[in-house]
Amino acid sequence: MPAGVDNLERLEEEACREIAAAASLQALTEVRARYLGKKGSVAEVLRGIGDLAGDQRARIGQLANSAKRRIEMVVSERRRALERGQRDRTLGAERLDITLPGAEEPRAGHLHPVTRVFRDMVEFFTSMGFSIEEGPEVETEYHSFEALNIPKLHPARDEQDTFYVEGGNALRPHTSNVQIRTMTGRTPPFRFIAPGRVYRHDLSPRHYPMFHQIEGFLVDERVTFADLKGVLHAFGRHLMSDDIELRFRANHFPFTEPSAEMDYGCLLCERKGCGICSNSGWIEWGGCGMIHPQVLENCGIDPDRYQGFAFGMGVDRTALLRYGIPDIRLLFEGDLRVLEQV
Amino acid sequence: MRASLQWLAEFIDLPAEANLVERLTLGGFEDVEITATGPDLSEIRVGRVRECTQHPNADRLSVCKVEFGDGEPVEVVCGAPNVAADQKIAFAAVGTKLPDGTVLKRAKIRGVVSSGMICSSRELELGDDHDGILVLDPDAPLGAPLPEVISGSDRELEVGITPNRGDAASLIGLAREIRALFGGDLRAPETDPPETGPAAADAIRVEIEATDDCYRYVARIVRGVRAGPSPGWLVAKLAASGIRSINNVVDVTNLVLLEFGQPLHAFDLAKLRGGTIKVRRAVAGEKLATLDGEARELSAEDLVIADSERAIALAGVMGGANTEVGDATTDVLIESAHFHPGRVRLAAKRYGIQTEASYRFERGVDRLGVQRAADRAARLIAELAGGEVATGSVVAKGAAPTVTEEIRFPTDRANKLLGTALSKQEMAALLERVGVRCASSDADELVCAIPSHRIDLQLHQDLTEEVARIYGYDRIPVTEPMGLLRGVERPRLWRMAECSRDALVAAGLIECQTLPFLNADWLAALQLDADDPRGRAVRLINPIREEEPLLRTTLLPSILRLVQQNRSRQLGRIEVFELARLFRADGAPSRWGPSLPEESLGLAAAIAEREERGLWEAPTLLPLFFKLKGIAKKLLDQLGYVAWFPSASLPPYLHPGAAAAIEVGGVVVGSIGELHPDVASAFGLDVGCAVMELDLEGLVVLPQQQVRFHKVSRQPSVRRDLAVVVDVEQPAGEVIEAIRKTGGKDLISVELFDRYAGKGIAKGRTSLAFRLVFQRYDRTLRDEEVTKTTDRIVKMLAHRFKGELR
Ligand SMILES: [Zn+2]
Repeated sequence: MPAGVDNLERLEEEACREIAAAASLQALTEVRARYLGKKGSVAEVLRGIGDLAGDQRARIGQLANSAKRRIEMVVSERRRALERGQRDRTLGAERLDITLPGAEEPRAGHLHPVTRVFRDMVEFFTSMGFSIEEGPEVETEYHSFEALNIPKLHPARDEQDTFYVEGGNALRPHTSNVQIRTMTGRTPPFRFIAPGRVYRHDLSPRHYPMFHQIEGFLVDERVTFADLKGVLHAFGRHLMSDDIELRFRANHFPFTEPSAEMDYGCLLCERKGCGICSNSGWIEWGGCGMIHPQVLENCGIDPDRYQGFAFGMGVDRTALLRYGIPDIRLLFEGDLRVLEQV
Repeated sequence: MRASLQWLAEFIDLPAEANLVERLTLGGFEDVEITATGPDLSEIRVGRVRECTQHPNADRLSVCKVEFGDGEPVEVVCGAPNVAADQKIAFAAVGTKLPDGTVLKRAKIRGVVSSGMICSSRELELGDDHDGILVLDPDAPLGAPLPEVISGSDRELEVGITPNRGDAASLIGLAREIRALFGGDLRAPETDPPETGPAAADAIRVEIEATDDCYRYVARIVRGVRAGPSPGWLVAKLAASGIRSINNVVDVTNLVLLEFGQPLHAFDLAKLRGGTIKVRRAVAGEKLATLDGEARELSAEDLVIADSERAIALAGVMGGANTEVGDATTDVLIESAHFHPGRVRLAAKRYGIQTEASYRFERGVDRLGVQRAADRAARLIAELAGGEVATGSVVAKGAAPTVTEEIRFPTDRANKLLGTALSKQEMAALLERVGVRCASSDADELVCAIPSHRIDLQLHQDLTEEVARIYGYDRIPVTEPMGLLRGVERPRLWRMAECSRDALVAAGLIECQTLPFLNADWLAALQLDADDPRGRAVRLINPIREEEPLLRTTLLPSILRLVQQNRSRQLGRIEVFELARLFRADGAPSRWGPSLPEESLGLAAAIAEREERGLWEAPTLLPLFFKLKGIAKKLLDQLGYVAWFPSASLPPYLHPGAAAAIEVGGVVVGSIGELHPDVASAFGLDVGCAVMELDLEGLVVLPQQQVRFHKVSRQPSVRRDLAVVVDVEQPAGEVIEAIRKTGGKDLISVELFDRYAGKGIAKGRTSLAFRLVFQRYDRTLRDEEVTKTTDRIVKMLAHRFKGELR
């Protein structure tokens, strides 16, 4: 009977409308009872089909049941929505002021900028198979100068730059003493770095009496200047940038021959010239070269059989540039407002 | 070395400036720069004195009519004695800006209006001479800007020269380098003097007594000179190299020094006594007044030039006032010599003077260039100051220096050192460019003749560097080294230091690094025992600050000062640490050698009482000691050690009631504690401060605790809380230890969770509350078992500690 079918469709439509409009769980329960309860509208339709013919009754019954299921589904969806809304309202009342600062403890400490850069450098070289070697900071003249082929009257040995201690020794002006101590009495191949603290008698805006160096050495039967360039290029990429440009300038050190100074292309201005690189586009990085045969000989190594490279660079300047610290003194004057920025 | 580019161009054709700077930089010269640094003379013009008459009202003044190109000639009052009609002069018209910045105005001088100025070299900042005006070349074009007619005042090349390349510290030296890098031909200046006078040997004898200190001494004589102002071009050339004009004779010696790099000295021959030049060591205590006005007392180590009676110059460094060339000088002796570099350096250092001469002698001058420079100077003096050059020179010879004249250069080894594949011919061509003449011997060897000015070339490796330098370091390939792959292990102490840093940073501390210098008062403030090795420190001979002459034996003073300084910066949170070498001066054997102080790696941390908390967080009120004890415990845990904190072996600078030693396996490796109030006030600390010291080297030799898994129980645990009142002096650590023992293996943890004294507790007593946790691996514990153990503990507490349950 078409009237029954129409009725059901209309009922379902009305039910969905009312369910959607139910503003509370209470209202929803009432709407559900009105349609699906024992005395509800759907039940009423079912009750009215008793006098219909069998096949028709079965059809309407089917339709009524599926209408009932659909209404039930809409009700439960609506119930979930209403329930969540209610919980959120309750939680909302417990809300934190999320703009208050986070807990102070545990507060992070800070490594010194020089430590950070040293770690970075040491990590690279140990990964390449260089061991770490150390030596004393108060050193003999032999290990600091003579063994390195710097004779007493050489202009490169400016005593005004050196801190002497009573008894004739001195605070080391470079970490090269470690080269002598490590190589003496041993047989190549050697592959090592010497990171450490050094001292020069100089206190000016650009210099501090204490600073840090890392030197590296590779001695074997066939180690070339080209290898030196290769290692330094890889190091530069690791330490600074994949796009780093290096430049090797001829220079003079008594302990290497040939000797070179290396610069890297200023990353700030991309070599156009800026205040950091004194408008040259290049920043001085350190010195390097092939170990002087006299130095090898001083260490008891046959310079006709073995050859090797040496390089050295400051650590502090890299730290200053990396963190944008304008003055080396800020690293060592212990102002915590500076050190806690890094 | 600084030089006028225009002057340099007299010796060799120059490439473009940017090119020149780059190649010189890559070729081994430092801080190469081309600048316009001389005085700005572009507004000064070439003028001509048309008439020169006596000033009507002043004897010493002249009135000149000067023309200077455009416009009417003007009338100018001039005070210079050497002004004369028809001279070409440097003229500043009214309105011209002078080098000192003033703008020239019209002035009335003794009743005559002066409309401009005829300039002296001093007014142009080219020299010191202000008695006379600067007289220009008669061919100088009228009205031209002055820089166009005197070279050297426009563009200057400045290069830093490494100590091995003294040969480059001259115009010819630079020109040789430019030829090596760019090619071209050298133009050497004329040297032959017009020898018209009687023989020099008739006037002077030269004797070298100190033969090891002087290889060659050449004396030339020019008679009848008129010492006076130098011409403009000479003044300007010297000025561009930073040398001020003195007079024409002295200026010539400086000019030749700049040209050849051979220092010269001019003596007034008339003031020389006994017709003798002696090159000898000074007698200790001998006096010499040098040209800088200093009276010097000489040492027996000094080499001097002397006449028959006295020293007349400090050889290679500076002349003496007693034979100075002045206005009255007529006969001049020119000295050109080769002195021992080390000898000159010693004297220059001893007297703290570096002169153009000593700079070059120290680095070594060309042993074959001595005569040439003397000839050139004689020629120029005769040309500029008049006079007659004596025939011949007087030459004395000392011992020849050791020099390398020939090097056998294995080209295969050069390639092996550089990583290149240059042919023998290519290498020979590169070496020829620096003046090394190459001959071929066998297949892989060149026989190289070293030019006399390159005393730095001694080994075949030195020639390899020359090859690389001229070839270009940037053209050497970039390769990766080959060799055995070998694992490396960082030294144990290194790892321990790194691990300590990480642990302390995780605990919120900031790492600092400070200078290692100590003031003796700071060390004294620690009140160390007399036999404490830290009381004796290595002393610096030349400290940077007089009051801090010691190397630190302990990090404490450094770190306490750091705390104090940050307090005065008004920082609320000061929690810091430092790791650094400590130096001992007590004669302890050093691992580095018998004459050296023992060094060890020390660690110190300090935390100061915080003034403010987080604004809205609850504060923790634990005494500083416990905060630091917690940090120390965690640090040693991380390092792999079980630490004890007994109250024995306490250093005197710690608060005796709030300090403990750090002990590992029965060995004291450090201490923690609050600072003794007396020490705190000695360091100006106005807040509580606790410090920790750890001897990492003492620790590193001790065996580390192995980390071992221990199984965890699946059975439920039973918890009992127990508050017991004991004597307030009773160390809680002992009570905990006793409970642990009595509880047996089922008692898996004992924790102190409260300590209370006050209301409800008798005076002199304190309540300790413990949380005991019992658990077995194999089964659930029964309640009565736990109660039985707890009762045993209570009894033990009553018996041993007079503990009453609360
Ligand atoms: Zn830049």
